[in-house]
Amino acid sequence: MCTTIIISNTLRLYLTCIRNTLDAAMCLQNFPCQEVERHNKPEVELKTSSELLLNPVLICRNEAEKCLIETSINSLRISLKVKQADELENILTKKFLRFLSMRAEAFQVLRRKPVQGYDISFLVTNYHCEEMQKHKLIDFIVQFMEASIFPNPIKLHDIDKEISELKMSVNTRGRLVATEFLKQFM
Amino acid sequence: MAAVEVHKFAQCITCHAWSRDRSMLAFCPNNNEVHIYALLQGKWEKLHVLQKHDQIVSGIDWSARSNKIVTASHDRNSYVWNLEGSEWVPTLVILRLNRAALCVRWSPRENKFAVGSGAKTVCICYYEQENNWWVSKLIRKRHDSSVTSVAWHPNNILLATASTDGKCRIFSTFIKVVDAKESRTGPSADSKFGEQILQLDLSFTWSFGVRWSPSGNTLAYVGHNSMIYFVDDVGPSPLAQNVAFRDLPLRDVLFLSERLVIGVGFDCNPMVFVADERGIWSFIKFLGERKTTTSGPKYGSQFSEAFGKLYGQPKQGFNNDTNEHSRSRGGVHENCINCIVPLGDPGSSKVKRFSTSGLDGKIVVWDMENQEDLAEYL
Repeated sequence: MCTTIIISNTLRLYLTCIRNTLDAAMCLQNFPCQEVERHNKPEVELKTSSELLLNPVLICRNEAEKCLIETSINSLRISLKVKQADELENILTKKFLRFLSMRAEAFQVLRRKPVQGYDISFLVTNYHCEEMQKHKLIDFIVQFMEASIFPNPIKLHDIDKEISELKMSVNTRGRLVATEFLKQFM
Repeated sequence: MAAVEVHKFAQCITCHAWSRDRSMLAFCPNNNEVHIYALLQGKWEKLHVLQKHDQIVSGIDWSARSNKIVTASHDRNSYVWNLEGSEWVPTLVILRLNRAALCVRWSPRENKFAVGSGAKTVCICYYEQENNWWVSKLIRKRHDSSVTSVAWHPNNILLATASTDGKCRIFSTFIKVVDAKESRTGPSADSKFGEQILQLDLSFTWSFGVRWSPSGNTLAYVGHNSMIYFVDDVGPSPLAQNVAFRDLPLRDVLFLSERLVIGVGFDCNPMVFVADERGIWSFIKFLGERKTTTSGPKYGSQFSEAFGKLYGQPKQGFNNDTNEHSRSRGGVHENCINCIVPLGDPGSSKVKRFSTSGLDGKIVVWDMENQEDLAEYL
């Protein structure tokens, strides 16, 4: 199965591209399992019948930042790879996204475990589309990405602020500890 | 506006059907029940709740002449409900399925009905007088995936099916016990039960919503790749037309006349397709009025972005960045429309009204009476 790859460089184009892809991909419906009696499970997770899956779409901003959208007849999986500039950002992102994933049920569409090779995954099923408005759902996912994934000093999103504050406090603490530790050799 | 009645009955509606005189309405509120509403003194009131299924009801059809309701559900069963006195009495139909039933449709003479299923089969059910039950005959090993939609040809013999393997197939459903010899005409003249007349391989992805035109000369079905297919001269040398459109895919279609088709689906707004004098089909318009997104702020943000660039204020640009929201679709319906039912006048052969239901829990009645631009196609 071929994967469509879209490359877009600027953040805005990247997010618009994801938004439009989600809009087209989020055409889900109730669909009972063909293989197991009386079951109704997200086909994108089970992958039991290949004809019920669509070609996955991979949207890349660069090598480090990408978004994989996998669609099936009754479910949709969105996986994100977050840019990690340095070791510290790597650890912080990992911890922070783990913290969110642990509370996945509060976010409804968040997957507990990211797909291999990605940092965070969402799973949208037809039930979410029945309960929630589609455009709000897309807004939520895109804003979530924007907020948590693209640290930018101009943006004042809560989660965003959280990551940069975390980074600053770790740095300050490290400096203090080092100063205290080195004092004894003076 | 073409929408004449809007009723919000439930959170979410999977399918609906009307009684012959349009005074009663049956629908499934996205669970294992079927609710029947009736128009009493100008108000819709809940009369009955049919509880027999134990999973979501996926299909309802109400026969006009015999006044029977057939329901199909993901629990693999189907029931025929008959009104006796003031009670709806169910009769279980042994479908012999081992997967969910997905759609159900009475035949034009109402002596048979067809059930499409997730078991990659189609059941043709007919009533057996001596045993007092509905017998099911299966069309097996023809479909490579679930059967999402079935449609009866007006001759009561041919059945068209749409499946998630992307194909549309036409079968003969001649059953000796119920179909008299004289009803066999045209391409189905000497076909046995379950014989495949035609397989249409036009779509690359799942197909849904198959329907015949009133005369049975044209067949329409939709693909999930935002295409609608029209097939004329169904038989050994069919003529097919593919019409692609730029909006989200359709789920179901309905012929209002030989030259006018309404398609409903993920765009939440019925789409009108018409055939010109040469029989070339094309999309002409959306039937409902779209909620127009306010254009003022959009221009405003464009201006401010330009100003921002001019004065080196990145803040403005940022505003534009995040304020871009997905547009909400549709007008009357706010979520995917998945069911469309004709509301023909029993007195006339013309269908000018139809009703749609969708995941937003609304049932909307549309009237084509005062659509001047479409009058010539009706």
